[in-house]
Amino acid sequence: MAASTICIPGQRLGSTEEFQAGKGTYTRQGYVYSSLAGFRHESKQGEDLPELQVLLEDQQTVVPEVGSVVTVKMTSVNPRFCRCAILSVEGTPLTQSFRGMIRREDIRATEKDKVEVYKSYRPGDVVLARILSLGDAQWYLLSTAENELGVVLAQSEAGVNMVPISWCEMVCPKTHSKEFRKVARVQPQYLIQPAGT
Amino acid sequence: MAGIELLSDQGFRVDGRRPHELRKIQCRMGVFRQADGSAYIEQGNTRALATVYGPHEASGGRVRAQHDRVTINCQYSMATFSTGERKKRPMGDRKSQEMSQNLQRTFEAAIMTQLYPRSQIDIYVQVLQADGGNYCACVNAATLAIIDAGIPMRDYVCACSAGFVSDTPLVDISYLEESLGGPDMIVALLPKSEQIALFQLNSRLHADHLSKVLDMATKGCKDIHTVLDGAVRDHVSEVTDSMARS
Repeated sequence: MAASTICIPGQRLGSTEEFQAGKGTYTRQGYVYSSLAGFRHESKQGEDLPELQVLLEDQQTVVPEVGSVVTVKMTSVNPRFCRCAILSVEGTPLTQSFRGMIRREDIRATEKDKVEVYKSYRPGDVVLARILSLGDAQWYLLSTAENELGVVLAQSEAGVNMVPISWCEMVCPKTHSKEFRKVARVQPQYLIQPAGT
Repeated sequence: MAGIELLSDQGFRVDGRRPHELRKIQCRMGVFRQADGSAYIEQGNTRALATVYGPHEASGGRVRAQHDRVTINCQYSMATFSTGERKKRPMGDRKSQEMSQNLQRTFEAAIMTQLYPRSQIDIYVQVLQADGGNYCACVNAATLAIIDAGIPMRDYVCACSAGFVSDTPLVDISYLEESLGGPDMIVALLPKSEQIALFQLNSRLHADHLSKVLDMATKGCKDIHTVLDGAVRDHVSEVTDSMARS
């Protein structure tokens, strides 16, 4: 990925016959134009046309969109659904949170009718979820019905970060009390490698 | 006032400019840390400050949020000390509301609204010192602030005013030239594609002169674009250098 010249909004970068539009660009009348102020990057993947992107490292404006994995913090829980604040989208933190909702039937992929919301999430839990739909104008509808989705960080009543011991339980390392949670499987890329390995 | 000669026999205006000459423009981006984007601009003695927040969750819920595109919320205000006579209502009056609506329509034409559905972008513009061409200064400041915020735009939006005095079109008119009641044209332009985002004409102008004045305003917009372009490139270089140092 070679970075080169500074681009500005509205600047013509090339033809759609030579390039395809990536982040920070758009197409109009057979040409690719920049839509951001930043640096031009070209990346080639396989047989496809090289992709043009305009990027500036400190600028990333994102909003939640359908299908993206988001990090949320639970704000309230009731028997039918739980409400949460969306804190980041695909690893990019948001400057201001968006509101989301996980319905009871979207918590788990199996035995949906037996799910108890309070045994899955509690207020303050940090959860990985996927955006199902934009819902109504108030809330994004989220789902955690995958192994990789669910609670990643939860505090016990003693105020200590709990440790997962199974798919549905976490234990407090201080008081050794167990609490029910819908636990997310930690993906290998998020495991912290010990120093010197 | 009636005795003031707006254009001398030698072709000079009251402030010593030629008819096609812009006032001196100075601008800075990233003046506030708290906002997502901000900019300050001086066009002659007219000074404006713009801040941009967003995209963030639409406030006002069901009413405000649009499922397919971003809602742009603009607020124009004038500082109480911006004019010679102290302003009683810096915002919320009819003129401010009209200006806010014009700003909103102008930027809806330039911002790629479809990228941020159900979200909101807030653009706040304040005139700190008014000396004619307030709307133009606000548009230019807001453009820089939006670019600073990293919000995708199809093109810059550059605005310029133009007037018409004794068969001569004047570009970037000052308060004195505005207040004498001649025709005052405001054009907001997307310079690369030459699309007009806003066209406003205060007072009557004969159809025969319209194209001349419009051409002058368009040329003014392109000259402003050159200045803003330089400022943006300098800012991007500065940001990159500071990141490299840290």
